[in-house]
Amino acid sequence: MFISKIMTRNAVTISPDADISQAREIMSENNFRHLPVVYKSNFLIGIVTDRDIRSVLPSSHLADDNGMEEMKRFSGIKIKDIMTKNPVALSPLDTLQDALILLQKKHFGAFPVIHEQGKLIGIVSVRDLLREFINVLGIEEPGTLLCIIAENKIGQMKKIVDAITEEHVSFGSVLVARYWEKGKRAVFPYLLTQNIAPLKRKLKKMGYTILDPMDWYMDHLPQND
Amino acid sequence: MKKTGFLYDERYLRHDTGPNHPESPQRLKAIYQGIKEADLLPKLTLIPAKRAELKWIETIHSKNYIKRFEAACHSGNTTFDYPDNQICAETFETALLAVGGILDAVRLIMTGKLNNVFCAVRPPGHHAEHDSALGFCYFNNVATAARYLQIKWGIQRVGIVDFDVHHGNGTQHIFEGDPTVFYYSIHQHPTFAFPGTGRVFETGNGEGVGTTRNYPVLPGQGDKEYQFLVETDLVPVLSAFSPEVIIVSVGFDAHVDDDMSDINLSTQGYSRIMQRIVALAALYSDGRLISVLEGGYCLKRLPELAANHVKILLNA
Repeated sequence: MFISKIMTRNAVTISPDADISQAREIMSENNFRHLPVVYKSNFLIGIVTDRDIRSVLPSSHLADDNGMEEMKRFSGIKIKDIMTKNPVALSPLDTLQDALILLQKKHFGAFPVIHEQGKLIGIVSVRDLLREFINVLGIEEPGTLLCIIAENKIGQMKKIVDAITEEHVSFGSVLVARYWEKGKRAVFPYLLTQNIAPLKRKLKKMGYTILDPMDWYMDHLPQND
Repeated sequence: MKKTGFLYDERYLRHDTGPNHPESPQRLKAIYQGIKEADLLPKLTLIPAKRAELKWIETIHSKNYIKRFEAACHSGNTTFDYPDNQICAETFETALLAVGGILDAVRLIMTGKLNNVFCAVRPPGHHAEHDSALGFCYFNNVATAARYLQIKWGIQRVGIVDFDVHHGNGTQHIFEGDPTVFYYSIHQHPTFAFPGTGRVFETGNGEGVGTTRNYPVLPGQGDKEYQFLVETDLVPVLSAFSPEVIIVSVGFDAHVDDDMSDINLSTQGYSRIMQRIVALAALYSDGRLISVLEGGYCLKRLPELAANHVKILLNA
């Protein structure tokens, strides 16, 4: 899935010469925590976060309305003084997976999205990424999650999918994860049914282990791997 | 008239879910047998099914949904909305009889003829949403009873306690913006069980914030955890709400021998929960309690579970 499909277009931006109180106002009005900083031509030069703003204010009490007087004393501070320059940005042809990995490596809450020429075309936040991930898991539809331990060899998934399909049950999603026992995999089908007991019995009869939910780990690697 | 009612009718067996479906007519037969063999029938006021007037169903479900459901049953289709929801030509009528029987039981309670009642109905209801069927449920039985209590009998505060092992998504969604109906549910954690809702942070919307409460229990937990949360959470929370009538969505599927869930409640554990709820009804609701069957699929355990449930109502 491409970032261009996930991002928010027409992101609200701010100029490097704007005052920090202006950024604070835009953020609180729109419930944003990140503002891309652009030149007039929409050329991305930085990003400013609510944390950047808070860190230059002397006290968190200034965030209240009665702090407005006090705010004025800090009005000399410009966005360009506190912004992060040349922020990590994504291209519209980067993918959801790229963004998730990048997110794990860097501790950012949002990424600006730019064209090759450096023009800002959107912004993608952690919240946007999580929304897509929930969509991938399929968990907004009613269903039941199973965990099946299968041999790590070709053809296992087909057998599992066939067994479930024969019972006229549809899939919300299927995740396959590493399992701590060598040569095995954990398969997590999210099934759009309440009627799970006959399926469990059937899969057990076929020789699969249905893992006790209290023993589920999505990525439980062998100790010496 | 005896003070505990028992709603049961052979017409509830007509909702045919086909072979191998867990929500089978055998469930109700097992429940009836259990109550009969425990010699409880002579102590109970038997209530027959009654067809509900559509105007009461319409307080919960859209007219369009009711029409769709009726048409599906008459079309010869065997499923409705989801493949789980097996239907037959009689399903629509049976669902009307379930709601109507419950409303009649409510009437008997509100006119002082009964103190409490166990409604052994099919199809169940707590997954049914305003506009869709789900999880073997078509009309939301308890939701309709709650609205009927308010509109017809002027009740202000209704408390619904749902201890089916699955979260009652339908009941919650119908009342989550409504501060006059408290929905309290204990169920297997939604990550590990159908339908995947009922997390702790689902506490209601708008004016209804605070009158929805969810308590997920983890796979493998049972009597000890249930008892702890009943004593430390359910009792104080419902006491604070002080419901004028208590409706119980009773599902026997959290029993250790029921393979629809991974929860390990014992038969005694079920009794303890119900005793506590009956005590709450005595304290706050003048004893007025309507217990309505939801799930519970272990045919071997249903007779004893139902008999114990009724004994507790009789001893209220």
